[in-house]
Formats: sequence, C-alpha cells, structure tokens
Amino acid sequence: MTWWGIVIAAGVGTFLIRYLPLLSGTRLARGEGRLNRFLGALGLAAIAALIVLSVSDLWWQAPHWRGGVRLALGTAAVLLVQRLTPNVGLATLVGAGVYGAAGWILAD
Amino acid sequence: MTFERATSSPWRAAGRGLRESLSLVAGYAPIAFSFGVIAVQSGLRPWQAVGVSLLVFAGASQFVMVAMMAAGSGGLTVLSAVLMMNLRHLFYGPALATRLVALPRRLAPWLAFGLTDEVFATAMAKGVSRPLEPAWCLGLASGAYLAWVGGTALGASVGAGWASDGGYVAQALDFVLPALFLALLAQAWRRARWPVVAVAAGVTLLAMVWWPGHVAMLVGMLAGALVGSRRPRAECSQEATT
Repeated sequence: MTWWGIVIAAGVGTFLIRYLPLLSGTRLARGEGRLNRFLGALGLAAIAALIVLSVSDLWWQAPHWRGGVRLALGTAAVLLVQRLTPNVGLATLVGAGVYGAAGWILAD
Repeated sequence: MTFERATSSPWRAAGRGLRESLSLVAGYAPIAFSFGVIAVQSGLRPWQAVGVSLLVFAGASQFVMVAMMAAGSGGLTVLSAVLMMNLRHLFYGPALATRLVALPRRLAPWLAFGLTDEVFATAMAKGVSRPLEPAWCLGLASGAYLAWVGGTALGASVGAGWASDGGYVAQALDFVLPALFLALLAQAWRRARWPVVAVAAGVTLLAMVWWPGHVAMLVGMLAGALVGSRRPRAECSQEATT
C-alpha cells in the first residue's frame, strides 16, 4: 500500500464510520424507546469522558500540587464565567488565560 | 424527534454555526499546529501534512498515523490502528440525529465528515436547549475544519522554529480543550443527568488504568449513556423543567 493509499483509506474509513450510522440514526431518532434515550444521553456522556481524558493528559504532564492548583483555578474560572455569561467561547478563553497566568504566578 | 421545528434561513444558520465555532477554533489551532510540526519532523513534506488533515480530519488518530508511518509500520497495521481509534465515532451520528430538526440527505455526507469529538460535543451541548439546524452544524464543523487544516499548514511550514517553547502562552493553550469541554458540560448540565456524567467520568478514569485513552473514552461514554437510557420516562419529562 502506498503512502497516499494509506492516507486516503484512513480518510474514507473514518468518513464511513461517521456517515453510515448517521444515515441509520435518522430512523432510530424517530423512536421513543430505550435506544432513543441511550442516544440522547450519549452527548453528555461523551463530554464527561472527554473532560477526564483531556484533564488527565494535562495532569500527567506535570503531576505536582502546582499542576493541581492550576487545574482547579482554570476549572473554577470556566464555570464562573459560564455561569455569569452563557458564552462558551468566553468561558473557554478566560479559563485558559487563568490556567496560563496561574502557571506564571506559581512558577518556582 | 421531540423538538418543535425552529428553522431560519440555512445561510444565516450556517453563519451562526461558524460564529459559534470560535471556541473550537481556539482549541483546534494549537493542536493542528503541533500536528503540522510533528508531521514535518517525522519526514513528511508540508503539503503531505496538510493532505493528511484535509483527507482524514481526525485529531488524535492523525498523530498516531504519522508516528506509525515514520516508524515503518505496514499499511494495514497503520490503517487498522487509525480506524480502531475512530470507532467511537460510530455512535455520534445516531446521537446527533436525535437533536436535528431534519437531516437533508444532500447535507448528510458533509455533516458526517465534520463529526469530530469536539464538533459532536459542542452540537450536543447546544442541542440540549434547542433543536439543531443542519446548516448550523455545518457552519460549526466548517469553522473547526478550517482551523484544523490552517493550523496544520502553519505548523508544517513555519512551526519547527516555534515548537514547544514551553512558555506560559503555550501552557495556556494546553488548557483550551479541557476548558471548552468544561464549558460545554456546564451549558448542557441538567440536574437529573448527574448519574450520566458521574458514571461516564468514573468509568473513563478507571478504564484508563488498563486501556489507552481512546478505548477508555469509548467504554466510559457507553457506560454513561447506558445509565441515561435506564432512567424512567417520568424523570425524562421532569428534566425538561429543571
């Protein structure tokens, strides 16, 4: 398999993994049963799983109390801004800014 | 679908989606930049790195693909690793379909192409409070895609000199994706849904002891959704007023 062959096959395979279930999903979405509730809960479950994955990646880059404090401050900033202004973009940027600033303040 | 129809002009909806992709753009650009740098350091030409982002558009699995190819792994091994990593996306389409007002067949391929973890999470968080217009989702995915491809191009062409300076700005950018997911969780939060969040997070954390991140995420996500599917109907309707 050539280099481009691998890239194209990976692209097509990834696309089909996303596309075929989306087509069948429109039929499933019309239902009211347990499968429908499962799919409805999947989004929130995915967000929770992504938080664990991304935060643990950051934690293991520098597993130290300073890292824990930075994560806590960044998280608190995100939740506070999201509560005050329902603006995901602003909450994200303020949280990242607080996390970066905390790293500077807590540096040795 | 249980939502009432709430549509606007497709172009206006796409514009709103594009505007609301700004937080995704902020999260994607630095990661795509890193991918561009790493791809070039692994021996790819800049245009090849951009080609990978253009055709595959699947963050983590692109890093794995480039690393395995640089290590001389066989084509089928690389391909199966990439597809295994992306298997979790199997569940995104049907879940998104439950939140859409409709799914025009001509838009379905474009929506599917852009259905990454972050686009899915953003759409589902928004879909808790209102039905989603397909054009809005398309605008959202377009912003993410442009940031991904543009970030890769920048990283591949000029990134080698800037890579991993370890400064505080770079560290702040490291927190953009976790911050985005936290903000999305806060936006989508409903009190009656706490077991879904607790189980998904707990099972993911536990599964990471034994499995790589993408497998742990899949297991945690399915466990959380299973808990959500067990809730009695009365609780579901109560949730709407919480």
